[in-house]
Amino acid sequence: MISHMPPGLIMILAVFLLPFVPHVWRQIYMLGVIALSAYGLFLGAGTHLVWTVLGLDLILYQADALSLPFAIIFHLAAALNVIYSWHDRDWQQHCASLSYAGAAIAALHAGDLVSLFVWWEATAVTSVFLILASGTKRAREAAMRYLLFQVTSGVLLLAGAAILASTSGDIRFTKMDLGDAATWLIFIAFGIKAAFPFLNGWLQDAYPEATPTGTVALSAFTTKLAIYALARGFPGTDILIWIGAAMTALPVFFAVIENDLRRVLAFSLNNQLGFMVVAVGIGTELALNGAVAHAFVHIIYKALLFMSMGAVLHQVGSIKASELGGLYKKMPFTMVCCIIGAMSISAFPLFSGFVAKSLTMSALGETGIYWAYFVLLFASAGVLEHSGIKIPYFAFFAHDSKIETGEAPIGMRVAMGIAAFLCVGIGVFPSLLYSILPYAVDYHPYDAGHVTSQMQLLIFAMLAFVVLVRLKLYPPEIPSTVLNSDWFYRRLAPAVGLPLLRGIMLVWGSFLCQMRGFINAIWDTLDRIMHSPLTGPTVSGRAVLIQAGLLALLLLIGYVAAG
Amino acid sequence: MSTPSSKSPSDLQRLGGIFTKVLLGIVIVLFGLEFFIHRHGVVSAEESFMFPALYGFLAFLFIVQIGKWLRLMIMRKEDYYD
Repeated sequence: MISHMPPGLIMILAVFLLPFVPHVWRQIYMLGVIALSAYGLFLGAGTHLVWTVLGLDLILYQADALSLPFAIIFHLAAALNVIYSWHDRDWQQHCASLSYAGAAIAALHAGDLVSLFVWWEATAVTSVFLILASGTKRAREAAMRYLLFQVTSGVLLLAGAAILASTSGDIRFTKMDLGDAATWLIFIAFGIKAAFPFLNGWLQDAYPEATPTGTVALSAFTTKLAIYALARGFPGTDILIWIGAAMTALPVFFAVIENDLRRVLAFSLNNQLGFMVVAVGIGTELALNGAVAHAFVHIIYKALLFMSMGAVLHQVGSIKASELGGLYKKMPFTMVCCIIGAMSISAFPLFSGFVAKSLTMSALGETGIYWAYFVLLFASAGVLEHSGIKIPYFAFFAHDSKIETGEAPIGMRVAMGIAAFLCVGIGVFPSLLYSILPYAVDYHPYDAGHVTSQMQLLIFAMLAFVVLVRLKLYPPEIPSTVLNSDWFYRRLAPAVGLPLLRGIMLVWGSFLCQMRGFINAIWDTLDRIMHSPLTGPTVSGRAVLIQAGLLALLLLIGYVAAG
Repeated sequence: MSTPSSKSPSDLQRLGGIFTKVLLGIVIVLFGLEFFIHRHGVVSAEESFMFPALYGFLAFLFIVQIGKWLRLMIMRKEDYYD
């Protein structure tokens, strides 16, 4: 029975019991539920559950070679998050994160666009509570903006699905060709969640406002679900190469000057999504393997980086680079895990990022789109700058902040340890990862030329960092707000829109006033006629006049009807 | 970036010194390997002498410099949105 349920659904249903399970047992219960959900994956590829509603076939459980690696890593991320938040007694957050992971996993197995829409929206309404749980005014406001974007994405997806249903009657979620209104609506819906340029503001706005444990969960699911959706719906769509290349390069500059280290990681997340989007845009088997492999390892090392910064935030109470530094002695384990995450995301050989990113870079090289290849190479140096160096450097080294603290709770450390182990394990034994990719892999990342090229790129970029620091040319961290695309709707729209709205309301108010005067003038005239008619009796009130008018109208209609 | 007034900053400086030496060691090794290992590139320029090294070094400097200019344009006070 359970094996035929869509994976993830059981995680959502299990949430209803969660408040009644005492702390610690709650974590064990959640791990058990995640394991049960993962058990459902053993049913293998195929269509396992279809409901027919209003003549539409809703494919609730469909699995194939593309959904499997995402499903595995989503379950793993959900389990890691449970371990990471072992100390947390706040059952509301656990409810939110378990149902959020469940919704994302269920979405992976939706075989039609309407089912996808349901889970797509479910990820939005469950995850927003992870931001709200921070309890601050900033978090509440960011959560509302986040929800606005997420729901808009869902509405666009539904609109696209509705057009497809009405035109072709086919709502199956398969490869689409970008062209008509329906496919564009669906493409933009995916693009919002994948944080395309100018649609990305919600990510850097909201993720850093969530709780330390909440951000870890957020980093795993929504954006990677969008990558999965793009890989299924729009593989080989050329425009994605342009969009993805912009995504890899632009956030790099923002991350350099951002002071909030979790926001730096949010920019970094955006940059990493760019690599995956480019790979989907290329659309060859090697490239799609690259996109999936990148998403897989990215979830682990990005979670590791967010976990290490979450641990610092949990212990210190701040995650501003300008307030941190010198924590390497106080939190040595967290520091080591953070550096492993940093080396993984930077794609050092023997770390997971290297074996995944190599697939995309090789696929891009094969296409002959050299400009994109060199943009991604440039972005690789950017990744090293903000995630490889800036994050560990400003948190654990830089200068002595004189902060007295210790290591994070044991659950946080265990989760970080597992993630760090996986980062190295996958990097050393890439065949483990390659064996679950959608297409057969005959790829060997560890050839001498490739390794030396990557090492040259990274080591000399690090050398540039050392030179800048030694010459005191590396910019110091400054408490600040860095404007991002959310500025358009947080500042520009109110600045332009509010005066505009006030102007419109002023004109409308004046119009209503004029109308009122005009109507009063008519009544006054009628009153005068009623009380001083030229001939005949006076009319006693307006009601009588209205009745007389209506009777006259009826009479007129009667005459017209009679012919 | 560091203040030489307590014990920890000197520890940090010592760590920084070790890090720099190790890094320079790897730089020398990579320089030496360039004479023995043939790197494959997607374009011929990528196969030229120490190309990825130069690309990485310059890209890093470029990113930091653009970041400095960007600060003048898009950096606001911490309470800008409050």
